[in-house]
Amino acid sequence: MSSSETSKNLLAAQSHSSNRLGNLISKRPEFVTLGLLVAICIAVSIANPAFLTPTSLIDIGRASVVIGLFALGVFVILAAGGIDVSFTAIAALTMYAVTLLVQTCAPGLPIIFVFAVAVIGGIILGVVNGYLVYTLNAPSLIVTIGTQYLFRGGLLAFIGTTWIMELPGEMGTFGRVSLLEFEAANGAVVSLPMYFLILPAAAILTWWITRRTLMGRAIFSLGGNPEVTARLGYNVKIVHLFLFGYSGALAGLAGIVHATANRLANPFDLVGTEIAVIAAVVLGGARITGGTGSVIGTMLGVLLVVVVDNVLVMVGIPSTWQRVFVGAFILLAAAFFVTRQRKFKPTK
Amino acid sequence: MTELDHQNRCFLELRNIHKRFGGVHALRGVDMSLNAGEVYHLLGENGCGKSTVIKIMAGAHPPSEGEIILDGKAHKELTPIQSLDFGIETVYQDLSLIPNLTVMENVALSEQLVESHGSLMSKLDRPRLKETATRALSQVGLPVNHELLGSIVSELPLAIRQLIAIARAIACEARLVIMDEPTTSLTRREVENLIAVVSRLRAQHVAVLFVTHKLEECYRIGGNAIVFRDGECVAQGPIESYTRADLAELMTGRQISEKRYRKAAPSQNTLLSITGLSVPGRFNDVTFKLNKGEVLGITGLSDSGRNELALAIAGIRPAENGTIEVGGKPVSIRSSSESISAGIGYVPEDRLSEGLFLNKSIYQNEIALILRKLAGKLGILDMQKGKQIARDISENMRLNTADIELPVSALSGGNQQRVLIGRWLSINPEILVLHGPTVGVDVGSKDAIYQTIQTMAEDGMGLVIVSDDLPELLQNCDRILVMNAGDVIAELDGASTNEDEIYQAMLGSVQEGAA
Repeated sequence: MSSSETSKNLLAAQSHSSNRLGNLISKRPEFVTLGLLVAICIAVSIANPAFLTPTSLIDIGRASVVIGLFALGVFVILAAGGIDVSFTAIAALTMYAVTLLVQTCAPGLPIIFVFAVAVIGGIILGVVNGYLVYTLNAPSLIVTIGTQYLFRGGLLAFIGTTWIMELPGEMGTFGRVSLLEFEAANGAVVSLPMYFLILPAAAILTWWITRRTLMGRAIFSLGGNPEVTARLGYNVKIVHLFLFGYSGALAGLAGIVHATANRLANPFDLVGTEIAVIAAVVLGGARITGGTGSVIGTMLGVLLVVVVDNVLVMVGIPSTWQRVFVGAFILLAAAFFVTRQRKFKPTK
Repeated sequence: MTELDHQNRCFLELRNIHKRFGGVHALRGVDMSLNAGEVYHLLGENGCGKSTVIKIMAGAHPPSEGEIILDGKAHKELTPIQSLDFGIETVYQDLSLIPNLTVMENVALSEQLVESHGSLMSKLDRPRLKETATRALSQVGLPVNHELLGSIVSELPLAIRQLIAIARAIACEARLVIMDEPTTSLTRREVENLIAVVSRLRAQHVAVLFVTHKLEECYRIGGNAIVFRDGECVAQGPIESYTRADLAELMTGRQISEKRYRKAAPSQNTLLSITGLSVPGRFNDVTFKLNKGEVLGITGLSDSGRNELALAIAGIRPAENGTIEVGGKPVSIRSSSESISAGIGYVPEDRLSEGLFLNKSIYQNEIALILRKLAGKLGILDMQKGKQIARDISENMRLNTADIELPVSALSGGNQQRVLIGRWLSINPEILVLHGPTVGVDVGSKDAIYQTIQTMAEDGMGLVIVSDDLPELLQNCDRILVMNAGDVIAELDGASTNEDEIYQAMLGSVQEGAA
């Protein structure tokens, strides 16, 4: 005679009406990403067995670090219902400014401090984004388009436009420190660099923040309904500053990794890759409208984009066709997610 | 003695609260005091300032003037976290759930947020989250299991979401629970359960403040009435000391009788004939006829299939079997446009998300169905003609015709509903299906809507009202069909039946079925 009877019926009717697979996919869209990734890897390794050698796997690992760090930042901002296109400019600015600073002031600075300075720089620039988005109450897309131009323009106008070919001290050597080494079939030694570890570390930290802290839940809550989030007592300003600051920190980190990996600080680098990063996050199952996504999905999305970028050549598809493929892929995946995630309309 | 002191102590007081939104003076010097363990019913028409006063107590709006006294300490304004910290929990009318979080998180996150005084730099205590959510959800009568706790809120039906919002309010150590129309989408049984929750809260010296339009529920729950009109508190006292007519008069400032609106009789010509209509799993083999000029009520519990039947007739979720005949000719209804061209209009239950273009003006909403007719040779709309039609509609619906350029979102619920019903006047369908026509609508607007319904019927239109508001059906309908578990189980005469009889019919075979 209690209401639980009716509620049970309602709930039962609901789970009955949606099939299990569809349910799983809409709840954990990263399974689709994983499926796609596995399918591509199988197809490519059949077409060209060289794919499954340490050489190409390490290439993929190496190529994932910078885009992966960016993607984690984008994931956090997408989860909060925002979007950021300025992270590449933040990375380029901190990378170049920090390299210049280290070169002129402290060439012997240990790499850990170099990273620390870059992270602080990234946080400051990110907080600028967060502050502007919050106080102007403007869409973060517009704000970050503005700051992208500002940061990049500032870099090129005031800091420098020349390449730094000789990185100072440990910045120059860190990129060559290896974690694992293999001897490839042709006798050359391929190595997985130490800096690769930064990505899983950042992924675990991001997972912990989003899943295990109140801040993480506040970020998702903001992505679900900002007005209600404020009404429930969350300090929305702090959440904005935190999430853009965090994304900035990851961008600063990515900038230094990029420089040490290439043993070169080029102020024209990085900017222009934002869309690929955002695509990777969305392919990982995060909705562009916010409030969803997961770290594991983001990482799978990054792998998917990197694999497609790197292996099409191996199966004989000319590089000019890569963009066509990546584009088709994104459209397919997007169409799939949209049909699967179409909101369940309650029957009341 | 101390027990009594504790109970009767006034812990929250509003003194001379004013609130202005731009040029609108929403609250004009409200004084209110709330005692622990008491139940209050905040009554008034839409737009009288009820929601504003709640938001001021919840810390969502600062008052323009006046002070809020919590435990003897005066505050100029409250922040949401201060209000929560003090123990004021609110079940908002829009439920204020976070759609993308799980049930467990929605119910129990606030507790940890309040305990950390709003600081976000703390670790989530997940076992505690689960424990709190389980306790609160079982208190509101939801079956607690792993699946429900982990469900994403936006995927659940409205009634469940409403219970979740209530569970969140009682999950924390509250001293005052404010409920803004908590029963709009609950069935009677769920309302009973809510009433049990309220008595439990009272026993724990928690004050409860209801905002509602359902007077019968106020009387059932008992307690104090606080009546608002035009931003002022016009009466405060034990609810038993007022009759329904007194309250209606206090709210509207004019006399409104609880009369039966239905006066005319239907003609004998069959207009709509439905035979063997069914959607498997929702309703089966529904057969009925509707005559010209007749008002037919359809009711039942929320899972009885009444909603699905309405959606099938409107073509939104077409029926899988059965036939629909309009004026003796069989029609196929597979979509809403087919339904409209067959002469059937539909006013949805959820006017905000299914019926209105909220950001568009009143006139644009009112002419939404006839844009093709208004279009000239080149497809350019004749807006002068459109506005004239809209003015006529507004006049018919007793809306202010000078307002037709206002966006619909600026209107109160009652006026929005009038716009939505008025829209159909532009094409005069033969049949109009009204789904919950006065959900969340104030007394004054109800009166206007009922009069319009009757005028339309007298002009020969056939109307179907799908509703769980029994007084509404009794006041308006010629016949009332009662559904249960997908079947029409009773047909009652609107003029001679009563609430008890309908209620028994709604529940009757549930008990048989369960036995």
